[in-house]
Amino acid sequence: MSNTASPPAESRPRTLVTGAVLGSITCVMFFAGLFAIYFSMRADANAWGSEWFPEGAIQLVPGGMNMATLSLSVITMAWAVRSVSNNDRIHTYLALGLTALLGIAVINQTVFYLNDIGLPIDYSKSSTLLFTIVGAHMTMIAIGVIWNLLLLLRAFGGQDTKRHQDLVSALSFYWYAGVAVYSIIWIGIYIAK
Amino acid sequence: MTTTDIAPDSVAVTSEQDQTYVERLVTSTSNLSLGKSWIFSGCVYLVFSTFLGFLLDIVRFDSDSYLIFSNVDKFFQFWSLHRTSIVLLAVVPMIIGLAMCIVPLQIGANSIVFPRAAAFGFWVWFLGSGITVVGFLADGGFGAPELGSQREAVALTLVGLLLVIAGICMSVICLLTTIISGRCTGMNLRRIPLFSWTMLLAGTLWILTLPVLAANSILAYVDLKGRSAIYFGSEDLIWDQISWAFTNPQIYVFVLPVIGIAYDIVPVAAKVRQRNHDLILILSSLFGIIGFGAYAQPFFDTPGTPVREEALYVLTALLAVPLTFFLLVGLLDTLKLGARNLTKHPPAPMILSLLSLLLLISGAIVGALRAIEPFELLSRSSTSAQMKLTIAAGLVAVIAAMLWWGERIIGKSAKQGFGLISGILITAGALLSGLSDSVNGFLGLDDFTTVDFLQKVSAEQLVKILIPFSFIGSMLIFAGAVVFLLVELLRTKNGPVSEADPWNGHTLEWTEEIVTVESERPLLDEAEKAGT
Repeated sequence: MSNTASPPAESRPRTLVTGAVLGSITCVMFFAGLFAIYFSMRADANAWGSEWFPEGAIQLVPGGMNMATLSLSVITMAWAVRSVSNNDRIHTYLALGLTALLGIAVINQTVFYLNDIGLPIDYSKSSTLLFTIVGAHMTMIAIGVIWNLLLLLRAFGGQDTKRHQDLVSALSFYWYAGVAVYSIIWIGIYIAK
Repeated sequence: MTTTDIAPDSVAVTSEQDQTYVERLVTSTSNLSLGKSWIFSGCVYLVFSTFLGFLLDIVRFDSDSYLIFSNVDKFFQFWSLHRTSIVLLAVVPMIIGLAMCIVPLQIGANSIVFPRAAAFGFWVWFLGSGITVVGFLADGGFGAPELGSQREAVALTLVGLLLVIAGICMSVICLLTTIISGRCTGMNLRRIPLFSWTMLLAGTLWILTLPVLAANSILAYVDLKGRSAIYFGSEDLIWDQISWAFTNPQIYVFVLPVIGIAYDIVPVAAKVRQRNHDLILILSSLFGIIGFGAYAQPFFDTPGTPVREEALYVLTALLAVPLTFFLLVGLLDTLKLGARNLTKHPPAPMILSLLSLLLLISGAIVGALRAIEPFELLSRSSTSAQMKLTIAAGLVAVIAAMLWWGERIIGKSAKQGFGLISGILITAGALLSGLSDSVNGFLGLDDFTTVDFLQKVSAEQLVKILIPFSFIGSMLIFAGAVVFLLVELLRTKNGPVSEADPWNGHTLEWTEEIVTVESERPLLDEAEKAGT
């Protein structure tokens, strides 16, 4: 039962990119929900003069390193988008590979940090929230890395040419959303504590 | 290098013929097949959840019968299961199913975008719904305050709930992408039919709010699976964290497509063009915006400033009344315009569309009263009344939509009279139950009525008089759901093959011809041109 009304000839938003933007919005709203709870409870704890995290528990260096790594990955991801739109396959390989590598580095640093933090998950409401937020973000980055590696495989198969640039653009939106979420974690949790 | 992404048609047809029914069902990525799966599953859960509602009202009717549930904690668990299932396992899935079938046709797309993802979304939801129900039945429901449940089963229920949300979001993203990117030439956003428009709004709001519900659930899950749940994962606190999704204002977001269904049916039934189409677009958008309820989570209130007493919450609850009223006036105006075209027996879907908007207004009025702080109705049975009325609006609209578009979806005609009866039963039941619960709210009856509380208020004679009405109402809703399921089963099995366009529709889902889209009602344009 197909509807054969006029063929789509008008310029419409690109399907893959639209889907990826909507998916990224869904992920961002998930984190927005967690952030809202975190900031609201922290504000209440501060207002009542209670301790939120024990002194020195949250260190700035690991979070800062992750932020720097993800900032670099924004550049490599933009490089991948640019390369694929220029039909430059070699640079696309390089850019996607580097982005995946930086993503893996972030996951590695996060796992190390969560093991090193010295706060058990059930220490307090704040530690439960911290583990949930950071763990969920690590999952988001892991999905991005897997997606990235799949694109890299397709690139080796010859499919990441200009004709397939939407695939890379779609991934880039998701990746940028992941970095945006992390920047809130970095400022709101690691810096502002 | 040659790639063969798509198999040749002949190969695909042959392999499809070799498949069994179950294989076809599981592997199908056709939007019609997926839509039917959503609708049928939603129907089954509808009967299940309305039956639960009926059982729960038996306890309110006769407090000794709480033993059906073995204890008060179980009673509370089934009470929360009823609310969760009627929204996330019945009404929303049936609306998604309708949209999956109708929206691509209405906007001139050949099919849904990302069909495999849409199929994956359905199966994730289906798996999640089963896990949710099994988790609840295994003593893993969200327990009553100060009572406990099975921790592992509660974790299972939370996983199920997360899968349900993921499945819904995935399918909705496919639908939204279809509407945004798959429209045919000439079909700009102002010209898309109102059902597709309200699906665009509702879908957007679902992907903005359901992830927040997922955030609540995952927080509870992480805490519950930690060495000892310290706060979020305490079994007696989980329902308090997620209950915002089933009350004012979020409840409106789930039934937003009611407006689109009514506005697609009534003008065609009255054989006139809907006036003020742009105004309806704006009003329905406003109604969607005021329904955004992810911010209204009383569990995380800052002491001294409860969110449900803030101006935004009260204002949006009050605004829902004039908005729904204006939307009803728009439909009545259309009916007035087409009064001479209406026969003595107007089509069942038209009657049900009007009833659904009446229920929506009733729900909005109860919601507005509930938000007025001096009445102190926030934790009273008015909450249940608003939910029943609003959700019933969604159910009646789905029945209207199935009687209207079902011939296009299933290809067979249904018994319109029986469909009308099912809608009227649900309307009558919701009004009876909703209005008695509203009055009982004023008389001090709590939203969750424990047995102790029932004994405490037994002196209140009026409460005791009104509770049976609520019970009868729930019974009627259950009966309506059963009749609806039977109507659709009989249609699928024995229904006569239907005409291609039984209603002389105005929008693209009713044609397979190439049509130029110059307004929101392209087929009416063609008919008018042919007439002149």
